[in-house]
Amino acid sequence: MAIFNAKDRIIECKLVYCGPGRGGKTTNLEYIFKAFHKQTDSDMVSISTMGDRTLFFDFLPMGLGKIRGCDVKIQLYTVPGQSRYRSTRKMVLKGVDGVVFVADSLEVRRKANLLSLKDLAENLKEEGYNIFNIPLVMQYNKRDLEAQGIPLLPLDTLEKDLNSKLKVPYHMASAITGEGVGRTLKEALLLTLRHLQKELHWTK
Amino acid sequence: MTEKEAIRRLLKEADLYRNQGLLSDSKAKYMEILSIIGKSKTLANHKQLIEGVKSKIRAVNRSLNELKDTLEKPELSEDLQHLIKKLFCFSQTKEASAIEGAVALAKFGQYEQALKEFHKLLEQGVLPLVIAKNMIKCYAALRIPEAALVQFSKWKTRDFFSREDLKYIRAFLKTSLEKEGFKVEIPELEATPSLPSKPKKKEEVFLEISAVSLHLRSGPLAGQTRDFDVHFQSANTVTILIPAAQKNLADSLVPGTRLTDIQCYSPITVFRSTGTISGAAQIKQGPRRGDYTMDITIDAD
Repeated sequence: MAIFNAKDRIIECKLVYCGPGRGGKTTNLEYIFKAFHKQTDSDMVSISTMGDRTLFFDFLPMGLGKIRGCDVKIQLYTVPGQSRYRSTRKMVLKGVDGVVFVADSLEVRRKANLLSLKDLAENLKEEGYNIFNIPLVMQYNKRDLEAQGIPLLPLDTLEKDLNSKLKVPYHMASAITGEGVGRTLKEALLLTLRHLQKELHWTK
Repeated sequence: MTEKEAIRRLLKEADLYRNQGLLSDSKAKYMEILSIIGKSKTLANHKQLIEGVKSKIRAVNRSLNELKDTLEKPELSEDLQHLIKKLFCFSQTKEASAIEGAVALAKFGQYEQALKEFHKLLEQGVLPLVIAKNMIKCYAALRIPEAALVQFSKWKTRDFFSREDLKYIRAFLKTSLEKEGFKVEIPELEATPSLPSKPKKKEEVFLEISAVSLHLRSGPLAGQTRDFDVHFQSANTVTILIPAAQKNLADSLVPGTRLTDIQCYSPITVFRSTGTISGAAQIKQGPRRGDYTMDITIDAD
């Protein structure tokens, strides 16, 4: 959970990238690390296993500088997407302030997206959050593959499957090229900081 | 679309999924190709095509097996273990943070390092029952029941635990090892303790509570029931965490508040009790910063 140090005017919050395995969560963070190098406080930490699968989590701390007179720091995390790592996902979600759900646009991953979103809702609930209340942004990743003739889920199918009840902002993206990655992060941060303003009144 | 075109398209898909690590999806596409080739009467190089696809399937199967054999929780470097401890401890007090750090290590499969930390904490006398249980969990996860038995024997001969504690630890050890498929003889406790036991405090025999349900009688949430995991327990005082988002709930549970309906869940029973909020604080550091810790002292009678 975010903390606001009113004396030194510093706010720190935690943003977690969730979604099905091999959907591009780590690639999002890698792109952010590369593209926003000036804002990153240290190296990105990745704990991966065979085939670059995230085993525990990726971690990237960033400093956004001053916003409305307040020093804003964020910690970006990814969770392991494979279904067998549920307890690890729960652990990483502890204290979360905002979530980016990275959905895989590949047609063959439709079911995996649905199961992953359900798992996220359950894990959040067990940690005392409601998926309908937490700042959340959808990212429909791998859109670049359309040009290669790979079958992708159309936007309306993704929206109907994943976002018809949540009705949260979404972005089309290609984490590998960086398209939409910055927009997703910016929107997630905006929602999270606005949400925290209601709770912590961190702006002047 | 001709057969050739369909196969070419499916091959492209299967290869891409394989490159992306979507091994099961890739395999399914290769199988689909095999089926098309099998049914075809017009394709040239029939045999060669089948062999080519089969070799791709064999490669995918190899990757799937390697993945299955990969350690779920490998031993991490000292730096990463240190980072885990730092990122996943949420409490304000030094002792509670130290326990949380060690528990986080265990949750991320760093059992050996966790055991070292638990040993240190036990020597310092920090929440010995909690530490003992966590140590047993580590031994069970490491699949070294003999080490757990040696540890239990040591605890029996030292003055760490009361006889009631030892009885509880013995039962916990038995259940934990059985859960992992070990059938071992655990030494019984002697009829009289080999060392004079510490004078027993009433709270030392209190049951371990893993979760509580609080039925709220007053305040803005009167009439509602809320469930909480117990994060720590010291005798009959349990510590729960309330997310910062539930400030109204935290505000209604100020120290001194009487709770007249508490449902307590222990590994062996569920019981109703009453209690008092004996401590409340907002967490100032770590990933749970902003959340609230509440100590509830359960009435011991």
